[in-house]
Amino acid sequence: MIEVAGLTKLYGDFVAVNELSFSVRPGEVVGLVGPNGAGKTTTLRCLAGIIPPTRGAIRVCGHDLAVDPIAAKKQLAFFTDEPRLFDYLTVWQHLNFVARIYGVENYESIGRTLLEELEIADKADNLPGELSRGMKQKLAIACGLLHSPKVIYFDEPLTGLDPLGIRRMKDSILKRARNGAAIIISSHLLHLLEEVCSHILILKNGRKVIDGTIAEIAQKFSQQSDASLEEVFFRATDEPPKVESGPIGK
Amino acid sequence: MISALFYLQFNSVKNRTVMRFKRLKQPKYLIGLVFGAIYFYFYFFRFLLMPRGRMGGASSMANAIPTDPIFYESIGALILFGIVLLAWVVPHQRAALAFTEAEVAFLFPAPVSRKSLIHFKLMRSQLAILFTVLFLTLLSNRFGGAGRGLIRAAGWWVILLTLNLHFLASSFALTRLMDRGLSNWKRRVAVLLLVALAVGGVVAWAVRSTPELTSGDLANVRSLSDYFDQVMVSGPLPYLLYPFRLVVKPYLAADWISFLNAIWPALLLMLAHYIWVIRADVAFEEASVEASKKLAEKVAAMRAGNRGALTKFKKKRAPFNLQPRGWPLIALLWKNLINAGGAFTARTWISIAVALIVMALALRGTMARSNWTMLVGMFTAMVGAWALLIGPQIVRQDFRQDLPNMDLLKGFPLRGWQVALGQILAPTIILTGVHWLLLVIAVACACAMPAGIMRIPPLLALAIGAGLAMVLPGLNLISLLIPNGAVLLFPAWFQTGKDAPTGIEATGQRIVFALGQFLAYGLSLIPAVAAFFGVFLLTQFFAGDAVAVIAASFATALVLLAEAGLGVMLLGSLFERFDLSKETAN
Repeated sequence: MIEVAGLTKLYGDFVAVNELSFSVRPGEVVGLVGPNGAGKTTTLRCLAGIIPPTRGAIRVCGHDLAVDPIAAKKQLAFFTDEPRLFDYLTVWQHLNFVARIYGVENYESIGRTLLEELEIADKADNLPGELSRGMKQKLAIACGLLHSPKVIYFDEPLTGLDPLGIRRMKDSILKRARNGAAIIISSHLLHLLEEVCSHILILKNGRKVIDGTIAEIAQKFSQQSDASLEEVFFRATDEPPKVESGPIGK
Repeated sequence: MISALFYLQFNSVKNRTVMRFKRLKQPKYLIGLVFGAIYFYFYFFRFLLMPRGRMGGASSMANAIPTDPIFYESIGALILFGIVLLAWVVPHQRAALAFTEAEVAFLFPAPVSRKSLIHFKLMRSQLAILFTVLFLTLLSNRFGGAGRGLIRAAGWWVILLTLNLHFLASSFALTRLMDRGLSNWKRRVAVLLLVALAVGGVVAWAVRSTPELTSGDLANVRSLSDYFDQVMVSGPLPYLLYPFRLVVKPYLAADWISFLNAIWPALLLMLAHYIWVIRADVAFEEASVEASKKLAEKVAAMRAGNRGALTKFKKKRAPFNLQPRGWPLIALLWKNLINAGGAFTARTWISIAVALIVMALALRGTMARSNWTMLVGMFTAMVGAWALLIGPQIVRQDFRQDLPNMDLLKGFPLRGWQVALGQILAPTIILTGVHWLLLVIAVACACAMPAGIMRIPPLLALAIGAGLAMVLPGLNLISLLIPNGAVLLFPAWFQTGKDAPTGIEATGQRIVFALGQFLAYGLSLIPAVAAFFGVFLLTQFFAGDAVAVIAASFATALVLLAEAGLGVMLLGSLFERFDLSKETAN
């Protein structure tokens, strides 16, 4: 569903992403992890067609993003860490607008269901300025899922959500994967990724360190087969070892 | 403790200034500064440097005004009194000193006394006051300062600092009254009653002591002025306004000796205010924390490019029903029309147009012999021409407004030209609608004008109206392509937030862009103008003026639409290549 070959993004002399290649099949949830500045957000923005790569090929649902961006973008949704909304459109007007952009004919019933699932149905006439941060995030999610995308990118999806919202978001991600969507999640919350991801892709300094199932990369970077993702991450990225936890003062 | 606060203030100002100078390495700031500096010099600063008597019109204007000092003191005192009255009547919340979130986070939990916080606040406000003094001095010198720049500056400083202290003191006093259970409405009634008593006293004196005004006096500006003069300089009013006159006197001093005589009572009054402020023991911390939080939210929204957070958006009705089927770019038009406001619905425009046409036809019979038709027609034509040039700067519901949401737009499954056209359609329709309405008025006036030198034959007036109506959509489309292209080519120049230019750089940048835009607009009209004159000259010989105008306008409209079409494709291509992350990475 997502095929990336030799993705490279340069800003002058600075290499943000360097020869990145990987693929994501339907039903897979790939966790994109790496230290700050590793190139995760740049990668996702290239995969969403928001910024053009310097080199490389990206295919979404069989459509080359450079050659046929319209067909590719119709299949995907990208959720940024900070919800981007139009300040002057109400919740319902946002859905109306997105329905026209993506050609979702039965958007009214789908939209109502989404708003009820996300528990913002009573805010349909509210402007974004009248919503809390978590509600804005939910509106952004409703807009992104309205056209039933087959490919979904999340950039720090849990920021600003309360515990119930976090639980619901995780359930939603798993449900969509079970329905055949290919999902990439970028997050620093490694325990979240352990719960929902089937595969992990570790980036450092714009380069891929490793990708594979959690078990595969655990085996490669740890003596123990049940090593946590956190431990594997630190080993893979050569970060300082974990400080031993214990009572303070002893 | 004061030394620590002074250290904070001094280094904040120093580092901010150094940062602004370092920023000048980037061409966008340097060019903005150069143009802004030139503008400010020619419009303001050179008047500071000119000696008395060499300012032509401004100086002769100053000489024509009455020179009784007590009259001007009373006027100035009245204005100050009005401002102070508002400070006692309007506020309804507890006193809140404006601190930044960082200042609240560091200073409020620190062992800093309330008095020290107030001193810090007063110290910080000095910079803002000095800038305001500079601006007001330049302004007052621009319009007849007669060369007393330094005296004016010192006078403004006295007025502004005293007002600043008074606002602070009055907010503390009002908070104390609130704490003692006096409601806002009771306080307002009490204050207004006191003012009413004073005004009543002045009126009673004026009725008893000054000659009654006749109806002839009321129609005579000189008599009214003399009456007003008498009330202002004699009777109880000058005494009632005495403290306010003390504050204004230094500003109005004719020379340095008068200034030195006037300054010491004003300084004593300032000192009294200072003591009043420092001795007030009012809890302002909670309200200040709340105010700082709101200020931080506004600043964060500005830095994210979200200007909407500065204004309260209201729910607006959609201009039409947006169906899920159809051209996707219409969704962008729909969105931007919602942003433009509820006035821009088809029903509203049609109603206004019908009303104007009916009005114009009804008035035709009555106004045909008056000069009003000519005046209204000319005025409307001038407004229309002005709207053609300046309209695109005012109606900005396009890429300029959606620059912070570019990621969102780029993620949509639309081609570049579709997004470009969708974005500029709304302002084009709005501007064209305004122009067509003005055109209806202008043509109706032209048809109704009485016979005379400037009368255009009705048939020709209608032909010109129809021709302009054909041409205006293309003109507006092209005029909007230019600033939108500039945003996509030079996004850094349009950036909001902490990197946004401010002050002189911002003014300079706007001047540069305005000049660039007018030049680009002018060049783009050359083919259209050539087409108009070519077709007009050919057709006029065979078919007369009216038909020639219509034919030429049609040809011009086609050329303009073709140019606009090319422009939209170019804008779309710019949009597809647009990469805001490249600007931030650089």
